[in-house]
Amino acid sequence: MRRLMYEAQRALASPVRNPRMATVIGRLLGAAFLICFGTGLYSHFLQEPLDWMRFATRPEFLYQVTQGTHIIAGIACFPLLLAKLHIVFPGLFAYPPVRGFWNFLERASIALFVGASLVQITIGLLNTYQWYPWPFPFRQVHFALGWVLIGLLVIHIGVKLPTITRYWNKASKASGDDDIDGGHRADHHLVDAVSGDRGENDEAARLRGTTRPGGLTGRALHYIDSTPRAASRLSRRGFLTTVGVATTAVVGLTAGQTFTPLNAVNLFGPRKKGVGQQGVPVNRTSKQAKVADAAMNSAWTLTVAVAGAERSFTRAELLALPQTDVTLPIACVEGWSQMAFWRGVRLRDLADLMSADPETSFRLISLEERGSFSKTQMGREYVRDPLTLVALELNGETLDLEHGYPARMIAPGRPGVLQTKWLSRIEAIES
Amino acid sequence: MTASANGSRHGSAGVNVGVTETVGTGLNPPPAGITASTSRRMRTIRWALVGGGVLLLAWGAFVMFDLVRLTRIPGVALWIAAAILLHDAILAPIVFALGIGLRRAGRRVSGTVIAIVQGGIVVGSIVSLIAVPTIVAKNFAPANATVLPLNYGLNLGIFWIVLAALTVGLSAWAVMRERRGSGVRLQDDSER
Ligand code: HEM
Repeated sequence: MRRLMYEAQRALASPVRNPRMATVIGRLLGAAFLICFGTGLYSHFLQEPLDWMRFATRPEFLYQVTQGTHIIAGIACFPLLLAKLHIVFPGLFAYPPVRGFWNFLERASIALFVGASLVQITIGLLNTYQWYPWPFPFRQVHFALGWVLIGLLVIHIGVKLPTITRYWNKASKASGDDDIDGGHRADHHLVDAVSGDRGENDEAARLRGTTRPGGLTGRALHYIDSTPRAASRLSRRGFLTTVGVATTAVVGLTAGQTFTPLNAVNLFGPRKKGVGQQGVPVNRTSKQAKVADAAMNSAWTLTVAVAGAERSFTRAELLALPQTDVTLPIACVEGWSQMAFWRGVRLRDLADLMSADPETSFRLISLEERGSFSKTQMGREYVRDPLTLVALELNGETLDLEHGYPARMIAPGRPGVLQTKWLSRIEAIES
Repeated sequence: MTASANGSRHGSAGVNVGVTETVGTGLNPPPAGITASTSRRMRTIRWALVGGGVLLLAWGAFVMFDLVRLTRIPGVALWIAAAILLHDAILAPIVFALGIGLRRAGRRVSGTVIAIVQGGIVVGSIVSLIAVPTIVAKNFAPANATVLPLNYGLNLGIFWIVLAALTVGLSAWAVMRERRGSGVRLQDDSER
């Protein structure tokens, strides 16, 4: 067993599998995780604010940027995580598998870290494709795993800190990097040690004394041994270049769904700018929300309720109020966004009409009866914002049914799920 | 801590937090050669990180049990276990075998060309990894026509063709450079 594990490590040895590479890729991956976690938390609290929380309403594309970044950094995790796992893979064959209590905990935490990371990025990506092949609720699990992963990341950094600091800088002599030191190439001995049979590794020497495995295993090992080894510096450069190109490719060919300059090369994004009714993509349809009849009913009114007083507005009455034009993006939790022109009544004007206290937050209620976002809350910072509208028109036309006809909310810096479509009632939340 | 102070580069177990390095084989930096005060500082920082991380992890576990129905949690565990298996037992061995195969097939080819071809295959595979699910998901009739609106199969085909062309072009360029003798530096230690 011991010999097998050792032979496995030896067979897997490669110039890119060294602590310097693990540090270089690890810090990029760590940064991507932290960016995902930060932007993810922001998205979470926008949707489920704690009582004391207030949010910035400018820049008006703030959420487009934070959630777009979440998905971009998340997609970048695919090549980065795979690269990291490739580098550290021989560690799986450590012998003895467990060297005591702390070592057991460390290995267990690494296993969980690897598995949870893979699950987190996979369900995140598939969620943006609106494909949910897992037996658990996405949002709750993704949120919990976010904390779990950040915890494991911090533990991992703590455990590996000596290695990380040692290999942080390229200049570090034992790093296996390319620095030339008085004509002596510092990387050679490192690679020799890895490839085992040329180094002065005690373990190697001792194991060489013993007979190598025979039979099928022996033949497989011999086959691997007789394979030419890759050049070390070339391998490392090739590896880093490959990771860089792969990351650029997955990000560059999808980010056009939120980042306009890349729209032309949006080959694999799950959404496309300008594709949808009135040039705007749709998430929840009137059919899913079962609102078509109620929304098209000519008896529709929007009720505004403040401090016991209620007033209902027909669409014609809303159109007769002062209209405001705004340019605001729809920015989805799934990472796509679309800039659009909206016309409608300022929510602030409606609130003032009802003499609402400027300090009150509002509750927005949709015609949709079920669905997690049929009733949502809007903090006073959005209610008082001059860009927040009860929108009646989109891109110069009457709002399409799929975009929330007869009336919907549009406010700066909020996720699409909170831009309530098919409005039915707006009420002040009395405190 | 300084790297040069480490005389031996093999094997000694890190004792700081009672854990050892797992990266690489037998090249673990020993904790030797650091002064007492930096080592004490390092120790403190490490324990603080590990402690803070454990708190975050515990909070994450609490959130999981708080938000997700108990009957759903085995599903999460199953997915995590399956992900580890899928990577360690299937994906990684395939990558390993492909690497061996490529290096054997390329015995007569310059190391640079092998590296370029290998890079091309990896880039194409990773892009396919995120693109193929769009093709699959589109088959399940998305909720509306604005979800997955592109022809992803066609796009992936175009992508592979462009990638193949770039790989061939780059390889040809590398070969020409080597023929002219300026590729020596890149070739350095490949003939060992
Ligand atoms: C390690 C990496 C990641 C971390 C730590 C992370 C963390 C988070 C967190 C904390 C949230 C907020 C959840 C909530 O609203 O309760 C979130 C939301 C989200 N994440 Fe991630 N995430 C990661 C990777 C990804 C990836 C790779 C994708 C997709 C490519 C993704 C897609 C999403 C989506 C679509 C949401 C919105 C969920 C919703 O509000 O319905 N995430 N993420």
